[in-house]
Amino acid sequence: MGQTVDMGIDFAGLKLANPVFTASGTCGYADELTDFMDINALGGFITKSITLLPRKGNPTPRIVETDSGMLNAIGLANIGLERFIVEKVPIIQRLKTAVFVNVAGQTIDDYVAVTERLSEVKGIAGFELNISCPNVKQGGIAFGIDPVVVEQITRKVKAVCGSKPLMVKLTPTVTDIAATAKAAVNGGADALSLVNTFPAMAIDIEARKPVLYNRSGGLSGPAIKPVAVYLVSRVYQEVGRPNNIPILGMGGIRTASDAVEFLIAGAAAIAVGTATFTDPSCAMKIVEGIRQFCLNHSIRQVSELTGSLR
Amino acid sequence: MGSLVKSNRSKGAFWATVLSNQQIRGRYYRLILELEPSATETFGSVIPGQFAMLDLTQTPLPPLETIADFLKDAARRQIILRRPFSFSDVSIRQGFDGQVVQLEIMYCVLGPSTVRMTSLAKGDKINLLGPLGNGFQLQPSKELAILIAGGMGSPPLIHLASVLKSRFTGMKVMVFAGAKSRDNLPFTIRTDGRTGLILEEFQQLTVNDCYVATDDGSAGFKGYATSCLEEWLSRNPWKAEKTILYACGPEIMLAAAARLAQKHNMDCQVSMERIMACGIGVCQSCTIEHKTGVEGQTEYRLCCQDGPVFDAKDVVFGGED
Repeated sequence: MGQTVDMGIDFAGLKLANPVFTASGTCGYADELTDFMDINALGGFITKSITLLPRKGNPTPRIVETDSGMLNAIGLANIGLERFIVEKVPIIQRLKTAVFVNVAGQTIDDYVAVTERLSEVKGIAGFELNISCPNVKQGGIAFGIDPVVVEQITRKVKAVCGSKPLMVKLTPTVTDIAATAKAAVNGGADALSLVNTFPAMAIDIEARKPVLYNRSGGLSGPAIKPVAVYLVSRVYQEVGRPNNIPILGMGGIRTASDAVEFLIAGAAAIAVGTATFTDPSCAMKIVEGIRQFCLNHSIRQVSELTGSLR
Repeated sequence: MGSLVKSNRSKGAFWATVLSNQQIRGRYYRLILELEPSATETFGSVIPGQFAMLDLTQTPLPPLETIADFLKDAARRQIILRRPFSFSDVSIRQGFDGQVVQLEIMYCVLGPSTVRMTSLAKGDKINLLGPLGNGFQLQPSKELAILIAGGMGSPPLIHLASVLKSRFTGMKVMVFAGAKSRDNLPFTIRTDGRTGLILEEFQQLTVNDCYVATDDGSAGFKGYATSCLEEWLSRNPWKAEKTILYACGPEIMLAAAARLAQKHNMDCQVSMERIMACGIGVCQSCTIEHKTGVEGQTEYRLCCQDGPVFDAKDVVFGGED
């Protein structure tokens, strides 16, 4: 009786209410999920990717369900920086949860411009640098696979972040993820988030054509979870722990057990992505599930779980 | 994107209890659900054309030997996403704890989710999100409503016919139901010696006329539903400004309905379909190319949130192959 769990965490200099985020591209810009859950019950919220200019994104089909997963090739469709500031930031400013803006672009200058413009905007807690989107021809994953570029873009964006933390989102599609993680940390990243989706394809065997208009897309959902857990564990051991850089772990999380697995692997916090599509209040349930796990295991502070892999 | 006006609670996640789940004919089934009482407020005012996302991920497969060969491979796929369904009827009934909403959903077994749906039995519970999207706009000033139903596009039009007949007693409601062949008509079909085919679902609603068209001529008019309508329009008196077309079905049929409406200067609303992951405007997967009003300019709108019903003259149709 009377036992409580401290669900709060320190994350890249921020005090967060709990270690559960919703992942970019799965929770809208701000309040789209309000009918289904209390956004303020989350530790963090990551907006859809914001680019300097509005983007229409790819023609349909943009998604296809696959075995225990789905492919998406949205193509960074978004309303663009200026409309985001006018229409969405006022809503974000009313939220209590820590809101990270996911920043994307075609050139390094694009990333710098978006981040710089938002660096002084109050209500935005920090940035997530999207250098791992598999569905655009320029920028995205092209930046994220080369450690030299990762370090360079991280350094340039970090220089305009002001006092806000910069989290770099890594692609899993590299031979050595520790190398790109290290490059981001060398460039000044305050946190790392991993993993983004895996480039993948589904083929319509009758038409002998790819199902997606974009031909390929990013694989997400439970299908990728064990790979993501492994990559989080590696990055934690080789980069996160030695440099004291927190990791936001994600990839196929849909239950509290999944989330705890990522925490044990080394994540300081976790993000729920594709699972929100099926259950829009999934992230909130995971917060409660993690709390229950801690109670059941006499864990007083959720942060004790991070990197507790034996 | 359309501006999103937030009501207090316009939609939600609710539990539904299966009342019945019966085969209509062939691959076509009718599922009747009763929603938990807390859904009555939001679902009580559903507009025909709105939809719900059903969570069938926990619904078991029927025995593998009962699954049609062409579905056996698909059935084995582990599904993770909900599926969108419109309603063929929505009614409010007195339940034990006050008023409850009853939803009728018609479905065609054609993939891993609908195969699972066939195993739903009385008393089973499933979760749904809804009501979602924008339905058909009712236009009381019209004297003639022409409903064009292509294949599995018919359910929301059955709901619409019911609402139009009950609310606007002076409005004539006609149906043109098309399908590839007789086997692909998702209705309870009766043959009447005098008038030919009768589609029970529309007949019960006392629609004024109901024409059937099949591509192969195996039932009713040989050709598209829109061709059948065009022929009717050429032989009967009607007033363009007092007529509205409501269409739901394959995109190629919706495009034909839109052209017909434009040619004859009639209003036309189409219910579009796209693959959706969420149904609530966050996944951005279900875009519809929509005219902006500026000549030659288009933008993407979301089928789930800005539709699925659109004014036909605003839509740039695809789906030609």
